Amino acid sequence: MLSTETLYLLYLSTGFTVGFGHCIGMCGPIVVTFSLNLKGKSILVPQLLYHLGRITTYAALGAVVAAAGSFTMVAAHLEHLQKSVMVFAGTLIVLMGLAMAGWLPIGRIFGDHFSPGGWISKGFGKLLKVKSTWVYLPLGLLLGLLPCGPVYTALLGAARSGMEGNTAYHGLLAGMGLMAAFGLGTVPALFLVAKLADMGWLKSRAIIYRVGAVLMIIVGIIFIIKAIRF
Amino acid sequence: MKTLLLIFTVVILTAFLLAAPGCISAGDKYQEMINCDLHTGACTQSVSENTVTLEVTPRPVKAMQDLSFKVTLNRALPPNTKPPYIDLGMPGMNMGPNRVWLKSTGNAVYAGSGVIVRCPSGRRTWRATVTVPGTGQVDFIFDVIY
Repeated sequence: MLSTETLYLLYLSTGFTVGFGHCIGMCGPIVVTFSLNLKGKSILVPQLLYHLGRITTYAALGAVVAAAGSFTMVAAHLEHLQKSVMVFAGTLIVLMGLAMAGWLPIGRIFGDHFSPGGWISKGFGKLLKVKSTWVYLPLGLLLGLLPCGPVYTALLGAARSGMEGNTAYHGLLAGMGLMAAFGLGTVPALFLVAKLADMGWLKSRAIIYRVGAVLMIIVGIIFIIKAIRF
Repeated sequence: MKTLLLIFTVVILTAFLLAAPGCISAGDKYQEMINCDLHTGACTQSVSENTVTLEVTPRPVKAMQDLSFKVTLNRALPPNTKPPYIDLGMPGMNMGPNRVWLKSTGNAVYAGSGVIVRCPSGRRTWRATVTVPGTGQVDFIFDVIY
């Protein structure tokens, strides 16, 4: 049996390698979308908050599977929620693309002329304009639920560590810690992709943002189609 | 120079945003590598002078459910040799380490349990690499139902 330190290191390195191989393809478009949406502003804090949210969700999932001692049982309950999160992610990317290109009259839809409810109006307005940096934290928390093969694999190990813990509490902590280590390992790859998509260095960025907006809409639609097929 | 830089950036951005999710979810080209139909029964392959038979139940083999893996060798391993183990993964995609530890049930038969996870890309071709310590390893590539 591997020592706890070795297990944490293994999960951290797995997250790192999977990050550069798998996450760039699956989650790369999301972080690129966020970078483009920031329109040249610093991506550091928003990206860190997004990853903090994502890691927190992974850790919470790790604790749940470790406490349950079964990955398949928890996964069966999460299936519908994950599908909804995938649709949400796609819709969000499409809306961000539309808003970035100026094709979505956010003010009219979510402002004074259309008021489906105070909190909905305020919430969506904030989310779409992304004026508040803190909005990336709940986004990370939510998008951490996106269905992902390597996350499932890591959760299998977390469930096992939960069963092997001396007490239920120790098992729960181990599952939580291992998933946090895994999530932390995936950050460098996604941060690098986000940084590469940060167009702050480019002087004439209007065309990039226009093209980026169209691409974001296409990527968002791909996400929604994938969610429907999932 | 500025225009060139702009064009280059647009091309790279387009290629990434469209190709990244596309590559992963593109048609499962690895289906051609399938060498085993675990949905209908066990599969056998040779490694050195031994043969390895892999059986997964319940059938058909579905992702995200508890599965029983059984490996049968035609020659028993020497005493004190570690039992075989199975690494589950997808050809061409790093899904993270997913090892099924097997225990001897006697007569060169080893059994263990594991889970094949679901890939949101929709690709269904999976690989089970059976490692027989001191002998070698063999790949079983098969389809999984999502």
